Amino acid sequence: MQSFDCAIIGTGPAGMSAALRLSELGATVAVLDRAPSPGGQIYRAVAQSPLATPDKLGADYLSGADLVSAFSKSNVAWMPGADVWHLGDDGRIFYSQDNRTQELQCRQMLICPGAMERPMPIPGWTLPGVMTAGSAQVMLKSDAMAISDAIFAGSGPLLYLIVAQYLRLGIPIAGVVDTTPRQNYVAALPMLASALRQVGMLFKGLGLLREIQKSKVPFYRFATDLEVVGTDHAQGLRFQQDGASYELSGDAVLLHHGVVPNLNLARSIGLDHVFEPDQLAWRVKTSPFGQTSCPHIWVAGDGAGIVGANGAKHAGELAALGIGCELGLLDDVGRDQLAEAPRKASAGQSGFRRFIDRLYQPAPDLMLPTRDDTIVCRCEEQSLWDLRQGFQSGARDPNALKSLTRCGMGPCQGRQCGHIVSGLLAKWREEPVADVGYYRLRSPLRLLTLEELARLQDGESAR
Amino acid sequence: MKSDVLIIGGGIQGSATAYYLARHGVSVVVLEKDYVARHASGVNAGGVRLLGRDLAEVPLSKASMQMWQTLDEELGHETGFRAQSIVNIASDEKDMQALRSRQEIMRAEGHDHERIIDQSELRDLLPHVSPECVGGVTSSLDGYAIPYKATVAFRRAAERLGAVFCEGEELVGLRRVGETWLGQGRHQRFEADTVVNCAGAWADQIALMIGDNVPLSHAAPMLMITARMPHFAKPVVGAVSRQLSFKQFENGTVLIGGGAKGFADRARNATRLDYKKLAAAARTTAEFFPIMRSAAINRMWAGLEAYMPDNLPVIGPAVNADRAFHAFGFSAHGFQMGPIVGQTMADLVLKGQSRYALGAFRVDRFDRKVL
Amino acid sequence: MFTSLRGLSGDLVEITVNGAPLQVVAGQSVWSAMALNGFTVTRKAAVSGQDRSAYCAMGVCFECLVEIDGLPNQQACLRRVSAGMVINTQHITEASEVYHAEL
Ligand SMILES: Cc1cc2nc3c(=O)[nH]c(=O)nc-3n(C[C@H](O)[C@H](O)[C@H](O)COP(=O)(O)OP(=O)(O)OC[C@H]3O[C@@H](n4cnc5c(N)ncnc54)[C@H](O)[C@@H]3O)c2cc1C
Ligand SMILES: Cc1cc2nc3c(=O)[nH]c(=O)nc-3n(C[C@H](O)[C@H](O)[C@H](O)COP(=O)(O)OP(=O)(O)OC[C@H]3O[C@@H](n4cnc5c(N)ncnc54)[C@H](O)[C@@H]3O)c2cc1C
Ligand code: FES
Repeated sequence: MQSFDCAIIGTGPAGMSAALRLSELGATVAVLDRAPSPGGQIYRAVAQSPLATPDKLGADYLSGADLVSAFSKSNVAWMPGADVWHLGDDGRIFYSQDNRTQELQCRQMLICPGAMERPMPIPGWTLPGVMTAGSAQVMLKSDAMAISDAIFAGSGPLLYLIVAQYLRLGIPIAGVVDTTPRQNYVAALPMLASALRQVGMLFKGLGLLREIQKSKVPFYRFATDLEVVGTDHAQGLRFQQDGASYELSGDAVLLHHGVVPNLNLARSIGLDHVFEPDQLAWRVKTSPFGQTSCPHIWVAGDGAGIVGANGAKHAGELAALGIGCELGLLDDVGRDQLAEAPRKASAGQSGFRRFIDRLYQPAPDLMLPTRDDTIVCRCEEQSLWDLRQGFQSGARDPNALKSLTRCGMGPCQGRQCGHIVSGLLAKWREEPVADVGYYRLRSPLRLLTLEELARLQDGESAR
Repeated sequence: MKSDVLIIGGGIQGSATAYYLARHGVSVVVLEKDYVARHASGVNAGGVRLLGRDLAEVPLSKASMQMWQTLDEELGHETGFRAQSIVNIASDEKDMQALRSRQEIMRAEGHDHERIIDQSELRDLLPHVSPECVGGVTSSLDGYAIPYKATVAFRRAAERLGAVFCEGEELVGLRRVGETWLGQGRHQRFEADTVVNCAGAWADQIALMIGDNVPLSHAAPMLMITARMPHFAKPVVGAVSRQLSFKQFENGTVLIGGGAKGFADRARNATRLDYKKLAAAARTTAEFFPIMRSAAINRMWAGLEAYMPDNLPVIGPAVNADRAFHAFGFSAHGFQMGPIVGQTMADLVLKGQSRYALGAFRVDRFDRKVL
Repeated sequence: MFTSLRGLSGDLVEITVNGAPLQVVAGQSVWSAMALNGFTVTRKAAVSGQDRSAYCAMGVCFECLVEIDGLPNQQACLRRVSAGMVINTQHITEASEVYHAEL
């Protein structure tokens, strides 16, 4: 079995910057990502974009090329297409490459799994034709595939970015239905002052909105009561705006209202988590360097609480310094000196982050379903009604509810319903989400064929 | 909080005991340190198996099997029980020989629920079995239930009859003063005439509070469940001499067991898995059922289970204290016994005796004179 | 409507989707190869049997499970096409039966 000073999962900005720093410090580093090329969400396929005009995705995207190129030139052991299915608190990692399980061991482990889009359980969200707005961007970046005449619905900077990218590429859009609640503008106002310290970011965001408004694409603000229309396939989106009812037709509806940390890796190891009230999401409990409740396991980037691409890069560097110190490659003083720059940079952004978090906090009735027949668990097709029944028959804990209803037992292992279920139970129990908890997760982190597992034998897994 | 009976442990044994006591109008409080069915009773393989039981357990297990057939109506809640029968596969003539010897003993004791089958009947029952397998043994009343549902069914039925379940309440101290047991929970105090120890993998700690020492150990048997597959096996499947065990539920998922054990960390309520052993279980499964090669494993887990050195449970009165009873140490096959254990414990508490021979299950059966 | 904005078309390989032979760009995701050719139903929902399609395109929703080369439960958004690949919509529901022993 191969062993390393540090294994890093994820090659987004967090994972790549950590890998670079650690290899500079002299550590042996393995880096795994299920993607075929480094970059993570933001810089996906930046080094070999299939698009004719990748520049239309924006300067932020292109700027990732430098980091990717430095990463590719470094001497880390880069394992593309490595889908990690087990992380052990003993430092063992099982990952699948070409449907074959390989195994490695590390002294220190850094998890940088990034974010996923917050599920938006509105009526009809399981119909074919309904996807996430992020998926539209993923498909663009990795396969140059676009969806024409889609309806974009939701809220948040990433939604506006993707709409703007679509516009620049000339992809026709049926409409944008913005669900940012009116009261968010009031609630976010007190945070504006500190956000102004990042005036560049603020202008970038405003620029995107202006780009959309200038485009003549129908734009509806303060939309509520969203519902996908259709029986076998999406045919449109119905919503309310200031008491009036609207219906846009279109066979593609792209939903988005923010991102939440990708929990399953950290949860499967049983790391301590906290519920972040500003972001309405669970995140791993960490030290400022990203060290978790299991001292040789670290988490950085959006996977440890949403910080954005730059924040992820700084967090990756900080984690690398923490790990380097733990490995004896530098002392506390050296670590703290080197940590000063990334620390300052991320502190500078926190004001802006708080403002954005508050402004684009999802509307409560879009985070938790309101209609009895709305599906919560997409895999096992459990509706709000089913879950309420389960709760009323005594299942107060997410795991108990899961055992009773199968909600969260399907192939996605709760990735889509987990946050919703914790939220619903908190509402019904009239207790904070933090007290309700979350699913107990286990390996494998993705479906694993029996045959692949059967081949896992001592000695055989290391090629 | 005062009650006639205080039960420690909200697994299937504690919940069933509460139900049968409550049915007799007895006031019952159940303490559960986590939530009901959090441990073995909620996460086990759901096998409701009479086949292949130790002779000492057969009378109890047989009675339990009868109870399972009508348990849903009895409790007024679904347990998920399905009588699908069970088949233990014989790989070779040696296995068949072992089956025949066992059958002789069983017949001599008057038990005829196990029936040996030949290769062609095996293929009829399990068309996808590997052609090398030569036969097996079956028991037709056997089947499976959904562990969490079954345990909670007992709990809800007991509650309807007035039993009180305190979840998140760990018993940390217990002593007897006069005719009363005083229990100290993390949050509350409890008083009762009688205590029943159904604390599963932690039962030795409760036994100690009562005054009985018992050589209980604990381990973490592991399971894997697949995503749905097209239905290919109706009966529950086991093997005579190999670590093969799986069942396909009505919803199409396949639960694979086999007895491989992970690592048990009882103090932290945690278990860790041994992936090499799970891989071996996967190999065995694929060897007997090639169709399983393309199965997709969705989740792997382990539960904390209590074991006695002879793999038989402790069922009966405490030896060093009055008005205290034990039911624990089920050694990875106690789910099926739930109904009869509940009834037996109620009999012991109420009448001081049971109609079953419980000698093999005495708590002090390992006490010996040591020089 | 799914459309391609691919710059250079790259090497083509032949694959089969639900019985139809298709020429697609080597290395593209199975999902994009399916969607661009009009095959948007990836699986049937396990309980209701309703049509389902890719939702996240990044591996977190498991809606895109298809059968690839006889192996079910493959994530179409993560797997990449290669020459000769045979892809089918996944039809496994609670009611599915295996009728013949394929021994
Ligand atoms: C769909 C989507 C699109 C986004 N687009 C943008 C954007 O255009 N601009 C922007 O500023 N922000 C974007 N974001 C926000 C993004 O989270 C951050 O900007 C940034 O990418 C976070 O960096 P990171 O290093 O924390 O994680 P990521 O960049 O998300 O990288 C995480 C990596 O971990 C890998 N991974 C996860 N689990 C496993 C596993 N089990 N095995 C192997 N590998 C694994 C993933 O493949 C991924 O490459 C997007 C987020 C999402 C969800
Ligand atoms: C993976 C696995 C597979 C199995 N498969 C099968 C099978 O197929 N068929 C079968 O018949 N059996 C099977 N078994 C065995 C079966 O699950 C157990 O024998 C049975 O559930 C034991 O029930 P119990 O009520 O004694 O224990 P438990 O369910 O463990 O309940 C004991 C409870 O006591 C609580 N407790 C402990 N200490 C305290 C305290 N101080 N205060 C308050 N509460 C306390 C615990 O939290 C626990 O919930 C399996 C077991 C496992 C782990
Ligand atoms: S589309 Fe979500 S996992 Fe593939």
